[in-house]
Amino acid sequence: MDFSLLEEHRMLQETVRRFVKQELMPLEPLVLQRDTQGLTGEDLLPNDVEDRLHARAHEAGLGGLDVPEEFGGLNLGTLPKCLANEALHHTITPFTFPPDAPNLHMLMQTCTPEQREKYLLPYARGEQRSAIAISEPGAGSDPAGMQTTAVKKGDQWVINGRKIWISRAHVADFIIVMAVTDKGKGSRGGMTAFLVDKGTPGLVLQRQIPVIGSHAPWEVVFEDMTIPDSQVLGQLGHGFAPMQLRLTVRRLEIGSWCVGMAQRCLDMMVDYAKQRVTFGQRLADRQAIQWFIADSATDIHASRLMTYHGAWKFDNGEDVRQEASMLKVFATEMATRVADRAMQTHGGMGMSKELPLEFIYRRLRPMRIFEGPTEVHRWVIARSLLKD
Amino acid sequence: MKTLVTVKRVPDPETTIRVKPDGSGIVTDNIKYVINPFDEIAIEEALRIKEKQGGGEVVLVSIGGKSVTEQLRTGLAMGADRAILVLCEQPLDSLAVAKLLTKLVEKETPELVLMGKQAIDDDSNQAGQMLAALLEWPQATFASKIDFAADQKSATVIREVDGGLETIGFALPAIITTDLRLNEPRYASLPGIMKARKKEIKEIPVADLGADITPRLTVVKMAPPPKKEAGKKVETVQALLDLLHTEAKVI
Ligand SMILES: Cc1cc2nc3c(=O)[nH]c(=O)nc-3n(C[C@H](O)[C@H](O)[C@H](O)COP(=O)(O)OP(=O)(O)OC[C@H]3O[C@@H](n4cnc5c(N)ncnc54)[C@H](O)[C@@H]3O)c2cc1C
Repeated sequence: MDFSLLEEHRMLQETVRRFVKQELMPLEPLVLQRDTQGLTGEDLLPNDVEDRLHARAHEAGLGGLDVPEEFGGLNLGTLPKCLANEALHHTITPFTFPPDAPNLHMLMQTCTPEQREKYLLPYARGEQRSAIAISEPGAGSDPAGMQTTAVKKGDQWVINGRKIWISRAHVADFIIVMAVTDKGKGSRGGMTAFLVDKGTPGLVLQRQIPVIGSHAPWEVVFEDMTIPDSQVLGQLGHGFAPMQLRLTVRRLEIGSWCVGMAQRCLDMMVDYAKQRVTFGQRLADRQAIQWFIADSATDIHASRLMTYHGAWKFDNGEDVRQEASMLKVFATEMATRVADRAMQTHGGMGMSKELPLEFIYRRLRPMRIFEGPTEVHRWVIARSLLKD
Repeated sequence: MKTLVTVKRVPDPETTIRVKPDGSGIVTDNIKYVINPFDEIAIEEALRIKEKQGGGEVVLVSIGGKSVTEQLRTGLAMGADRAILVLCEQPLDSLAVAKLLTKLVEKETPELVLMGKQAIDDDSNQAGQMLAALLEWPQATFASKIDFAADQKSATVIREVDGGLETIGFALPAIITTDLRLNEPRYASLPGIMKARKKEIKEIPVADLGADITPRLTVVKMAPPPKKEAGKKVETVQALLDLLHTEAKVI
């Protein structure tokens, strides 16, 4: 068993850390300021700043980490992607190296040659942004219960329904929409994915819903939205499996986000404990604070190993659904614990919006809901252990 | 132009350095190592020279154990063409380093040797000067700007000296050591990292160079700097003067 990272992985880590230190860290005061002004999501950074960051990332070749070479990427796999994500989440300045989401993995499994040209390649190059619409007001944890329908009329599909909590719907060049094509079959052969371009008639961005953290997902309505047959993504009726693959990769990524954010909290806790003196002694000399620090370091270590292992196993072509569920549950809860301890250690400063801790704490909260709530993952883990 | 750039593996300036209780050195467990920051500036400058001149070669050299491969690989990922690692596990003083470099310069015959003005671990600031003396080459230390004549036979360097800047001109080949303000080093780009996998790191056992590296210098003891004590507030100027006289003994 060899736990060491490859030399090139360590170099990548170093490059991303530098990028974070030189480009992203200096923007934190701006992000905090805009956050208190009520700006969220994509608006936390002004457009020109974001464009500059993308240009800098492009210069350093920091894109397409997990994109195969045939699609113009570097084909490094998910482990390096997780290393990069971990480093990126040391800072609260929101920034992702393109492509923007694991929709890549869904597209790679499903695109036709024409769709590859039109969607996959520009997306893989970071020229297009994407969103995915699965959840509905009546079907979240249980997407098999979705009501949105797609009905074939000639060589067109007519889609009707309502999706909710759709992240980045307003900036996406295309949305992957999941819809029922055969009610009788449900998620086993009756659910299909569609590629819907921005501005398609009948695609209505109903309202943006502010939620805790820096998110503001959308409610999206389809009113007789008509798209050609060529927009079917993957096999008709079999949209569920590629969607699951995409969710698995995202859960690994969430693990790495949590490790990065928790590490930042721990670093801040350690620094502060060494400086802050109360009742004539440093916080660092108090056992209560020492235990915060020891428990946090242990928590982070465990989550990091789980993340690296899950990503490594995935890169080796194995099924990691179980590991991804465990990681999603463990890492999101552990980062919440660590952030809470860091805030407690900082006292009043920990509550203030002048430090990143309060922002991190809020940002973590929805991570226990999206990509499958904690309870559902626990249920899935147990179910697979208890089945005969 | 062919440039030889020296690379030393040093503890990351951002890690906390602890001196061993017996004063024989620093605690090296769990320390992260990086390219000496001044050497990184030297690599960056060599790459810029090559890019500007539209050709040439950037060769990295380091002396040390196998672990230095990591720093050399990073330099290659920044864009250097190839690297030489002189395998040597024993600690070396600046003169021994300069002598080994002399042998390498004789082998490689570069027009320019770019070095950091000092390594941030023991801050000796002399390898460059010693190498220039041994080779009998011109030297420009603490460079903050470097320009070459069109025929690439001579150079002009602006040096950071006490109280200002000094501009000197000299013929090549020469030794230039870098100061902080010379440039801001790029980071290894991802395509650079991938390309670096295939670049050569040639290992040479130190004995093969036939240089006399007997230590002329021994480190007797290392000690951490004294802890800064808390300041004092005084009520009057007179009290301050008294304390400066009696306690601090500076006036
Ligand atoms: C910020 C944010 C961004 C999002 N982005 C997207 C997006 O881009 N695209 C998209 O499609 N969706 C997105 N979602 C939706 C998200 O995936 C759903 O909210 C999530 O799946 C939960 O569904 P729900 O809200 O309907 O909760 P419900 O399914 O109603 O669950 C409510 C509660 O019941 C619990 N529960 C449910 N079933 C069980 C069970 N079997 N056993 C025990 N407890 C159970 C859950 O754990 C939860 O605590 C986003 C959500 C948020 C908050």
